[in-house]
Amino acid sequence: MFVLPPPPRYPTQAAYNAAVAAGQATPMIETNNILTTPEEQFLVGEGTYVLKEDLHLATPPPHPSEAPVINPNPLATTPQPATAGTKVSLLSFAVRPPPPAFYRLTSATALSASIAEHPNESRESQNAKLSSDGEGQSASFSDGGPSTSVTAVSAPAFGEGNASLAPEKTKDANKRRKPKNNMTKSNSSFISRVIINESFTKKLADRPGDGLFAFANINRAFQWLDLSSPNKADYLTKILFTKAHCLCHAVNKVTKGPGHLDLIMGFSTGEIIWWEPISQRYTRLNKNGIINKTPVSEIQWIPGSENHFMAAHMDGSLIVYDKEKEDAAFNPQEEEETVDGEGETSARVVDHLSRIQILKSVHSKNQKTNPVAIWKLSNQRINAFAFSPDNRHLAVVSEDGTMRIIDYLKELLLNIFNAYFGGLSCVCWSPDGKYVVTGGQDDLISIWCPSERSLIARCRGHQSWVTSVAFDPWRCDERNYRFGSVGEDCRLCLWDFNVGMLHRPKAASVRHRGSISSRTTNLQRAETQGTTASRIRSNSGYSGFEGAEDDIQSISVPVEPRSMTATIPPVLTKKADKDPLCWLEFTDESIMTSSKTGHLRTWKRPSDNPGPAE
Amino acid sequence: MTSLLSRFKTGAAGDAKAASKDAQKKKEEPPPELTPLEKMLQNAGPVREDGSDKFYGLENFGNTCYCNSMVQALYYTTVFRENVLNYPPLSPSETPEGFKPKVNVVVRAPQAENGTANQANGKKALTTAEVLARRKQINSGQVIPATQQGIRPEDKPDTPEYKKKQAMLKGPILELTQENPGAYGMDECTFTGLRDIFMTLVEANTRTGVLSPQRFLEIFKRDNEMFRNSMHQDAHEFYGLVLNDVISNVERNAKRLMEQESKHANDGLLRSLESAFSHTVMPTSNGVNSPGTGWVHDIFEGVLTSETKCLTCETTSQRDETFLDLSIDLEEHSSVTSCLQKFSAEEMLCERNKFHCDHCGGLQEAEKRMKIKRLPKVLALHLKRFKYTEDYSRLQKLFHRVVYPYELRMFNTTEDAEDPDRLYELYAVIVHIGGNAYHGHYVSVIKTEDRGWLLFDDEMVEPVDKHYVRNFFGDKPGMACAYVLLYQETTFEKVRAQQEAEGLEEVRIASEKADVATEENGLGGLANGLTRQVSQPNAIPIDDRETMTRLAHASTAPGMVISSPPPPLPTPLNQVESSSVLARSLTAKPDPKSKEEKKEAKAAEKAKKAAEKEEQKSKDKQKKEHEVQLREARKAEAENLKKALEESKKATEEGPRRPKRHQGQAFPQEPWAFEPHKAGEQVHV
Repeated sequence: MFVLPPPPRYPTQAAYNAAVAAGQATPMIETNNILTTPEEQFLVGEGTYVLKEDLHLATPPPHPSEAPVINPNPLATTPQPATAGTKVSLLSFAVRPPPPAFYRLTSATALSASIAEHPNESRESQNAKLSSDGEGQSASFSDGGPSTSVTAVSAPAFGEGNASLAPEKTKDANKRRKPKNNMTKSNSSFISRVIINESFTKKLADRPGDGLFAFANINRAFQWLDLSSPNKADYLTKILFTKAHCLCHAVNKVTKGPGHLDLIMGFSTGEIIWWEPISQRYTRLNKNGIINKTPVSEIQWIPGSENHFMAAHMDGSLIVYDKEKEDAAFNPQEEEETVDGEGETSARVVDHLSRIQILKSVHSKNQKTNPVAIWKLSNQRINAFAFSPDNRHLAVVSEDGTMRIIDYLKELLLNIFNAYFGGLSCVCWSPDGKYVVTGGQDDLISIWCPSERSLIARCRGHQSWVTSVAFDPWRCDERNYRFGSVGEDCRLCLWDFNVGMLHRPKAASVRHRGSISSRTTNLQRAETQGTTASRIRSNSGYSGFEGAEDDIQSISVPVEPRSMTATIPPVLTKKADKDPLCWLEFTDESIMTSSKTGHLRTWKRPSDNPGPAE
Repeated sequence: MTSLLSRFKTGAAGDAKAASKDAQKKKEEPPPELTPLEKMLQNAGPVREDGSDKFYGLENFGNTCYCNSMVQALYYTTVFRENVLNYPPLSPSETPEGFKPKVNVVVRAPQAENGTANQANGKKALTTAEVLARRKQINSGQVIPATQQGIRPEDKPDTPEYKKKQAMLKGPILELTQENPGAYGMDECTFTGLRDIFMTLVEANTRTGVLSPQRFLEIFKRDNEMFRNSMHQDAHEFYGLVLNDVISNVERNAKRLMEQESKHANDGLLRSLESAFSHTVMPTSNGVNSPGTGWVHDIFEGVLTSETKCLTCETTSQRDETFLDLSIDLEEHSSVTSCLQKFSAEEMLCERNKFHCDHCGGLQEAEKRMKIKRLPKVLALHLKRFKYTEDYSRLQKLFHRVVYPYELRMFNTTEDAEDPDRLYELYAVIVHIGGNAYHGHYVSVIKTEDRGWLLFDDEMVEPVDKHYVRNFFGDKPGMACAYVLLYQETTFEKVRAQQEAEGLEEVRIASEKADVATEENGLGGLANGLTRQVSQPNAIPIDDRETMTRLAHASTAPGMVISSPPPPLPTPLNQVESSSVLARSLTAKPDPKSKEEKKEAKAAEKAKKAAEKEEQKSKDKQKKEHEVQLREARKAEAENLKKALEESKKATEEGPRRPKRHQGQAFPQEPWAFEPHKAGEQVHV
């Protein structure tokens, strides 16, 4: 194993932060991660959450090649790299019991696999079980590997029917393809340094099978941590990039295993790296921005796919890449010729409020190279997107304050929802796929019901922009939902809403949207999951799209006035850090938050058995 | 810096001729650079009548940036500008044969670069060639040699000081120094001073330049004692005073007109007939009852209601008060939206601060709440960044991070408020730079009607990216914080249309691509979309890649070869070089850090060069053909220029002189488009 000298001793991160804050040249040194256990806690209905630990991930100083700015001109109009604070993802190989409340609810339905996606620990069990039953339906992926396509049991695979998308057959189905280049021996100028823990192999071998890994991107650094290790401050691997900032990353849940991980990272330069952390190999995609030059704000694997992932670029395009394909310069005109009969692509100017502009369809026959598909949603930057638990829909939020619901399998825009004001920055689906929750620059969290094309409620409690939202599947059941949010106000908020509360009569019932409300009242909330999912498509989706002109208008759901909307207060608001927060996630044991300055905090759940919320 | 600028002033007021001679002399040198603003405005078509496309810097007379930043913001408050220009409404009798009141504008000659003023300073100003050389040095990271020590900040290219100086050198400088009594039938006052400024800008026949608002400041200081010094002043205070002055000026005038009218009415039958006639023709021509008088209120004024609930008898009493702006307390890590809500938080009136209840008769404990009853058209938010601290017994500046959205709705309206969900859009940010309330600098970042966001820093005006507006939340190094935010009412549809247009422009440019090579002026559109400086690399058009290839194409187009060099490129361009320089900039420089990197870079460079050569060959042919055309074009252009100059000299004895704008097209270059890739560019992994 490639061993680097131990990291030198450095002054504290505090010194670094102080220097940055004072506008001085930052010290050209790297700091280590620091683990502390400050005493903090907060009380919610179910009990007391206690801060277990605060792992401070070091923010790397600028690369030595970048001249330090001694006297910054506050009015300088020179470009600054896009940054995204600290984004973390958690991963475990182990089979963990799914959230109890949830399990009870959905165990019989086909949706369970996708619902369990949220607490990603439970994925493997579902995968294993279902694939052994031979339920993997998707033809295009059926021979890809043992656990492919099972997540999409209820939905067809992305790009199904396009023969040119089918993966090449490998001799050994269990052997996963690795990226081309060795990261530790790389002399790429894109990567500045790779530091691998001295006892990397030993650590990997000795760790408990159900332990949590964490991956985190902080500015130009990327860290791989083992949260089950006694010294979790020591990273397994740390990559420092030269100039590009890593803005987002994602681990493939289908291909993960003790011997192989597929991880993708999106950068401020628009570039993407496919990294296999265990063998330390990588491939660069969209190299030098050949396909798109704008920063990647969000990246995710397409559910159930081994190879395909989706990246949101900041010019408003969503691009699907294949991790194993070569890049090719993309020319929309050429694409038009290959895909004939598609009226949308030929129109250079498209009304983005009624449809997505398909620059390259997933059904294009030209699939030798990346990109697999390009959709332009608008001219505004996309801040985040989320796949629905049934793997059929995509919720995309943008800087222009829209939340688009897209049938990504059919490449159709179903609905546009609008924020009260300002941009939307984060989005997530409820575990049962009924609701979508967004947070944004109006300091609000909005709960939407895509199937009813309606705003359910606005949640007021943050004192600044909301940066991340997530459901707590351990505290959700068929009637009650718990979700959390963090924001620029350094606060963590927890929210509860339930079906009964949302049926509360409100002034909104008199609004002039007869067709919609009359339809929705007929639909019972107690319906089973499966029908809900189909309702999303059959009712609002297609009727809205295939219809006449006036239906196109109805794709966009107008902003609800304040007086007609239910407002929900938080069940908890807690200043959870000193610095603005940028990420949160629920695990079976805790709530985890991260701050812009790199503090990764773990709030342990109440020690008594967490029952479903009443 | 300001003292330096005032020194320039002393010089060449009358030697416009000398300046033009100098200009001719300079022909041999590389032509003067176009500023990003000028590049954006290339081929903008005819100058508009309504003043919406005038982008003038304002001269600083020593700590008068509070005035400059605010006046700019007021000028780009479209509804305010229009009303100022239309007031007082002129009755036909006052405007015989279309007579318009004239503003006393003096056009000061732009500073000749080698003019007397600079010689008096003991140093020659930099020539363009020197500038380019120096910039190259700075860009390449070299330390400027010791012999050049003691460089003044305004001689360092790309510093604000330099840009301001260049703006003054370029001109035209419109001076408002003289009294203009009796104009518009009003005494000289803050309003007339402001109107003179607006009028001058609207009537100016160039889009860019510098205006010297001296007279306005004199009048304002005359009427407002506390501003009668050369100290750093509060821009928000200035804003309030100007608006109040304008209101009282307009009211006084309305009163005067009313008196006049009543006099008229008593003036005998004939006159009254006449006036009656004129009334039927121009019913709103004058008089206090005309809707013209309340317009300042209409624009800026809102109504606050304080609801006080007596805790003894539970009676609620209401009191309304008007406001021109809202001063909001700040909290660390909050948003303007949330600070605005705090403003409406309940307040207990107890102990020494009890409330006198009319119902119970006596001092009682009470709950008080402030809510907004009527929303103004223009919402001015004053962020209270200066806080009096007992420990220091002075005003401290709060560097709280307070985020502000581009759009806003108010949460704290009363139940009966009209249109409680009114949508506002941010259109001006007044930024205070500095460590405390007693020192510092003000600039404004303003969204213009159709030219996007611009940075106004005294004499300098520069286009900026939309995301630049977010640099002043208060947490960035450099101590620049948003101090006053101006929001104006808008509609959801307008906002959406604008957002769409932001990118549509890029699409249009891309589709124009094919025509660029044939159309001589086709690059104008390009310049519009691409010169905008980007503070975050996220507004890059989808087909940037296309843009780049187009750039290479365009280098052979006749329009661009006469161009002056794009600022981010260190080398002066001439015809032959231009395309190769462009190509070079496409292949970013290797990072000369490690040996391996160098090696790789070299290999990559070689490959690229080979490819370039190929391309070059095919282009060379084209180029030769074009060169002939070019020569012709340039000749014609030079002649046109001469003619235009002569004409303008004749035509505008009084009016502002046309700038000797270089006719060539600067090539729109985006340094940021390449920079992020420098590191990764060269390596094949």
